[in-house]
Amino acid sequence: MTLMTILLMALITFSTRYLFIHPSIPLKLGSKVISFLNFSAPAVLTAIWVPIIFVREGQLSLSLTNPYLIAATLAVIVAAKTKSIYFTLFSSMTVFVALQLFL
Amino acid sequence: MDMMPLNLAVIPWGILCGSLAIQKGFSVFEALLMPLLVFAGSAQLVATELIGGNAPLATILFTTFIISSRHFLYGLALRDKMKVLPGKWRYSLGFLLTDELFALSASRKAFKGRVRLLYALASGGSFYLCWLMWNVVGIFAGSFLPDLTTLGLDFAIAVTFIALVIPSIKSIPVLVTVIIAGVCSIAFKLLNWELDLVISSLLGMSAGYITLQFQQANKPLYKGEVT
Repeated sequence: MTLMTILLMALITFSTRYLFIHPSIPLKLGSKVISFLNFSAPAVLTAIWVPIIFVREGQLSLSLTNPYLIAATLAVIVAAKTKSIYFTLFSSMTVFVALQLFL
Repeated sequence: MDMMPLNLAVIPWGILCGSLAIQKGFSVFEALLMPLLVFAGSAQLVATELIGGNAPLATILFTTFIISSRHFLYGLALRDKMKVLPGKWRYSLGFLLTDELFALSASRKAFKGRVRLLYALASGGSFYLCWLMWNVVGIFAGSFLPDLTTLGLDFAIAVTFIALVIPSIKSIPVLVTVIIAGVCSIAFKLLNWELDLVISSLLGMSAGYITLQFQQANKPLYKGEVT
């Protein structure tokens, strides 16, 4: 049963990724649609990370003792200044782990 | 290698997925098939919980579909570049099309020419192998580790996406997109909407698109860099 479920899930994740790059799907994208889709990366990625930081256990958490918020603020600043994925990851992960230990 | 930091950032998630599968009573074979075939982070995690809780098949599949539906946007965005490729490239890159690979393929030149295709395949492939490896670590080491779910592992994913998104904010429309998508995602999360991710993304994209139209209609008065 689990096996069957996994196979069906695989089918779903693959088709959501593959469907629109298949050539014989009758679909022609106009320049407006393409310009709209150019915003998909920042939009989707933001919609994934923002709730992780601000919503803790189903509630909005803007408290200064929220380690997610402190470390994420640092990450945003470091990312903006250095534009380096490495720096951002390592600095904010270090701060996050330290906060988890000491708060 | 642009994918390297991302390969490392998914360590906690991979380990979590692997160990959770074992905790929820998956056999080692089943736990291995998840990253091998399904190859998804959040969908894998949520489905593992559901399967462990004996949820009905339809619920599991529908949830997987909802979580994966953001990939439709990626496919659409890459369509014009990808549809002209021969089948073997399309199928393999399509399979490897994760949030991470998509985030790295924003460049206009991505997927054009053999070198760039090989580069994309290597990036996506290395991400696949690393994801598999971290899952395997989770499968075999999971039972010896403390309860990983309370360690705040989701922060690693959040910060990866921060590192990818923030430097890409180079114009007002993108800034608007990020702000709207962010605010909406919090609101919809609090409302517990199932389609929160897709709807807030679409609203953010619309806001960015409208801003762009507005900017173009009013001549580029301020095309300043925003960081």
